[in-house]
Amino acid sequence: MAANGVLSAEDLRLYFRTNKGPVQAVDGVTLSLRRGRTLVVVGESGCGKTSLARAILRLLPRNVETYAGHLWLNGTDIMALPEERFRREIRWVRLALVPQGAMNALNPVIRVGDQVAEPLLVHGRATSLGEGRRSADEIFRQVGVPLDFADRYPFELSGGMRQRAAIAMALVTVPDVVVLDEPTSALDVLTQANIMNVLKAIKRDMGTSFILITHDIATSSEIADDAAVMYAGQVVEVSQAGDFYRAPLHPYSQALMASVPTLHETKALGFIPGRPPSLIDPPRGCRFADRCPMRFSRCSEEPPLIRVDEHRQVKCWLHA
Amino acid sequence: MSRALAELRHYPSALAGLGIIVLLVLMSIYAVLAIPYREAIRLWRGGETLWLDTPRNALPIWMTLFRPDLPRTIVVGSRGALRQEEDLGGGVRQVTLTLAFDYPYSQVPDELGLFLETEAVQRLPHAVLFWRPPDGSEIQLNEFTVDPHEVYRISADARLQRDLGGPPEAVLFTDAQNPSRVLRGRHQLIIKAFLFEKTSDMRARLVVYGKAHGLAGTDHLRRDLMIPLLWGAPIAMAFGLLAAVGSTLSTLIIAAVGVWYGRWVDGGIQRITEVNLILPGLPILILIGTLYSRSIWVILGVVILLGIFGAGIKTYRALFLQVKEAPYIEAARAYGAGSLRAVFTYMIPRAVPVLIPQFVTLIPTFVFLEASLAVLGLGDPVLPTWGKVIEDAYSKGALFSGHYYWVLEPAALLMLSGLGFTMLGFALDRIFNPRLREI
Amino acid sequence: MAEALPLITRKSRAAPSTLLRVVAYSATRLGALFLTVVVGIYLTILIANMGGYVDVIKRAEIREQVGISVSFDPVMQRLPPEERQKRIAELVALEEQNLGLDRPFLARTVVYLRDAIQLRLGFAERMTSDTGSRLVRNVILDRLPPTLLLFVSAQILLFFASVFFALALSRRYGSFLDQAVIALAPTSAPPAWFYGIFLILIFAALLRILPFGGMVQAPPPESAVRYALSVLRHMILPMLALFMTTIFLAIYSWRTFFLIFSSEDYVEVAKAKGLTSRAIERRYILRPTLPTIITSFALTLIGAWTGAIILETVFNWPGLGRALFQAIGLYDTPVIVGSTIIYAYLLAVTVFVLDIVYALIDPRVKVGQEGRG
Repeated sequence: MAANGVLSAEDLRLYFRTNKGPVQAVDGVTLSLRRGRTLVVVGESGCGKTSLARAILRLLPRNVETYAGHLWLNGTDIMALPEERFRREIRWVRLALVPQGAMNALNPVIRVGDQVAEPLLVHGRATSLGEGRRSADEIFRQVGVPLDFADRYPFELSGGMRQRAAIAMALVTVPDVVVLDEPTSALDVLTQANIMNVLKAIKRDMGTSFILITHDIATSSEIADDAAVMYAGQVVEVSQAGDFYRAPLHPYSQALMASVPTLHETKALGFIPGRPPSLIDPPRGCRFADRCPMRFSRCSEEPPLIRVDEHRQVKCWLHA
Repeated sequence: MSRALAELRHYPSALAGLGIIVLLVLMSIYAVLAIPYREAIRLWRGGETLWLDTPRNALPIWMTLFRPDLPRTIVVGSRGALRQEEDLGGGVRQVTLTLAFDYPYSQVPDELGLFLETEAVQRLPHAVLFWRPPDGSEIQLNEFTVDPHEVYRISADARLQRDLGGPPEAVLFTDAQNPSRVLRGRHQLIIKAFLFEKTSDMRARLVVYGKAHGLAGTDHLRRDLMIPLLWGAPIAMAFGLLAAVGSTLSTLIIAAVGVWYGRWVDGGIQRITEVNLILPGLPILILIGTLYSRSIWVILGVVILLGIFGAGIKTYRALFLQVKEAPYIEAARAYGAGSLRAVFTYMIPRAVPVLIPQFVTLIPTFVFLEASLAVLGLGDPVLPTWGKVIEDAYSKGALFSGHYYWVLEPAALLMLSGLGFTMLGFALDRIFNPRLREI
Repeated sequence: MAEALPLITRKSRAAPSTLLRVVAYSATRLGALFLTVVVGIYLTILIANMGGYVDVIKRAEIREQVGISVSFDPVMQRLPPEERQKRIAELVALEEQNLGLDRPFLARTVVYLRDAIQLRLGFAERMTSDTGSRLVRNVILDRLPPTLLLFVSAQILLFFASVFFALALSRRYGSFLDQAVIALAPTSAPPAWFYGIFLILIFAALLRILPFGGMVQAPPPESAVRYALSVLRHMILPMLALFMTTIFLAIYSWRTFFLIFSSEDYVEVAKAKGLTSRAIERRYILRPTLPTIITSFALTLIGAWTGAIILETVFNWPGLGRALFQAIGLYDTPVIVGSTIIYAYLLAVTVFVLDIVYALIDPRVKVGQEGRG
């Protein structure tokens, strides 16, 4: 595990059972998150990003078939932990989640403040609801939720407020890592900017490590320290944010960048022809090969994650 | 949709349900063909004279598998019997009829009955009856004047019972010294009749009633239970089907109209639905059944009427609301599609996946409703239905007197039809409701 | 200290608003429901009076009342019989006019409606209450407690049992128990009385360990405890019948419901938060779905009320249903009409009680807003 690393995944696999066969949603993902930094995981819909979040947090669905690999948190192999220990020591205490669509992430019949205080009571950080609510208020202040909203029910809050409440809920136990799954997709642009500011402030003040999963390359660039690209259930590129956004290495990353409009240049927006492969029976060899403009003969063999330099890895034969 | 129906194959409960329904349909077809409606009604309502030869409350024949020695009914007619005629002069003739039969059972018969027919009008014949059991003794039973259609229930003759010291069918068939031994062998009924009219004759029929009859047994009026059991199927299915179709369709249309025209219409429909919720269904049917008419058509009409604004309307309304907001409805209105057309072309087909399972599951509700009314004594007075049989059985205390078959047979058929439709309906629900399919 | 104050004011702002909210909601619903009951009873009267049957009931009632008042009047008693009959006829005609029995059909029915709402249901033709009263109201209300006892206990037990087992079952998706419940769900097709017949057959006729029917053994035991025990013993089979027709479908419905709702996002979040399964079930699955369960339960309850008529008849349970059955047999029209009206009231009360429970549970309910779907 890399120095100063707080979370590290190696060959993480998550397969689901379906009528048509096993869906290999997360197929051998290896990445690591350094303390106090934000790792952005980008990819298009259906590439397995949300499943990655679930895999990290051990939120396995009913039809799970394979859950394998290694997951280290602060040096502990948390995948080996039995369920009860995982629940008591890891869930929310060290690893928290801000799920996709906070609209639905909050229990509709419990007051917002009580919900945010709940993890403290569950994990013994607070002994009474009053105490828990006091800590919750602290977080609300940091996240920018007015205190009198704490007594309301989720349906009384706007979308942006609910998202902030969900973020507050994730931070209340001061976990080591917070995984955010598409935190701004369902929001309008102004609110998106607000939420990003909140996250930046939290990052600065609390030093939490974030994994931000998104398809929104532009917005995520504001906050990213490191970036990882997912394609068809695998990580195809890992690098520091600056390098990634300016000069990505993997052909897929390059195509993604080319499709994002930038403010200070005039450029023709590119697009990637074709569709991502099915995760039920993924093709042999490099999974991007069918759509790759730089495909060559060796691509019929699956490339490993090649280390280009200390902080960059690419899953492409072009950099072998 | 055919794809969905093909999926039924994977659900064993659906196949079982379907099988039962097919069975019921076959039963109905057979009933209608083998015993045409008029004939069935005639037999069911015809009265005693149609059922003279059948025993009362007889067990079904297949019970002999468990109780092997159930006696069967023996009918002895005078046509093939020994007949001696003697002219006594003065226009009086003495006719001696010997009705003989072999009795092979080791249980006494259920009942004894004698039916005499004569054409005499003015001077009725006089008959003297003797019984000769196999042991050779002769017992005088009775003597009386013979009516043109004389029904002499030997077993019900109180005086004879007194004279014999016990029920005639028991005493005449058991050994006087050893009453537990049944006399098997040749029994004879000797009728010495005096005919006073030259042209008149007399015919006799002795019925030695058994304890088992028919595939389904008989009821207290000696009617073969196969008639109501068979005919109960088409009646129940028809009622259930018509009621389900009627109420489902009308609910659907009302819901669609309400959603489409919105505001007042919708609000009004909601209020009516609430009132309908409070209206006690069965008591109102009871009210109508006791005060006005028990005809099954009237009941059917009222049931449908009460069902129009039923609870199902909320489901369809929610569904239609979804459809109404959909962009393709806006498009339809944009290019000028008429309201009625929009309702029928877009909304109603969308309801079909929800409709079909609800409809199938609704059928047994109505079948049991009709049966319930019959059990309460408010069934259709003419039709032979399963509920009617249960009502007869119950009012005659079948459970106390051990005539379990009388209750169990119609109950089993009711249960079967209920289960059949419900199993199919539940499986259809799992198929048509996509959220349930994952589960 | 400064921290504590805001907490207190916050709490006290929360409490009265709940009470106020519920009270205001109840008042609105009560009003709406009452209106519905009025319309419902009116329809009942219309149906009954299409053949003039309510007219007959009312006329008989008037005659009865006049007769009673005359028998207490010493002046009237001293008159010769024909004179007295004439005076009675006059009084009857006067009363009929007073009450509006000579008005057209619709006007008459409105008069009857007013009476019916106050439960002035006339005199029974042949039935009497336990206290000897011939008032239909007494005849029926006398029989109400046994029905309530049997029925309400059964439904409450059923509700809690089915929700409890459904929750447990939703955790064991795909297990043998799960598949067994799915397979047994169609047992809901036959109504309770149907199972009742079979149960009597097995337990009373064949095994002879439970009574054939009735509410208490005859003669009833002296001590209150033995009486209660006897009643309980007689309640076993009818409650079993009610259970058999409802339990598997109820468990299956709620379990499917819980499964669908457990795939909601906030349930996932709850799991991620590290809550125990039991806490998740209670707060994240049960509580949000409770309003819908209550509504659904209301519908089942309403359907079952009227179904109890035959059940009581089969078990000879001395309740409202059996009274109605007897009235049918005796052709006692006033009791039949009166029972229908009482049933309408019972249903309305059921809906109302469940509405209140709904309001207490669902925070989305606000005064004057259609919060439910």
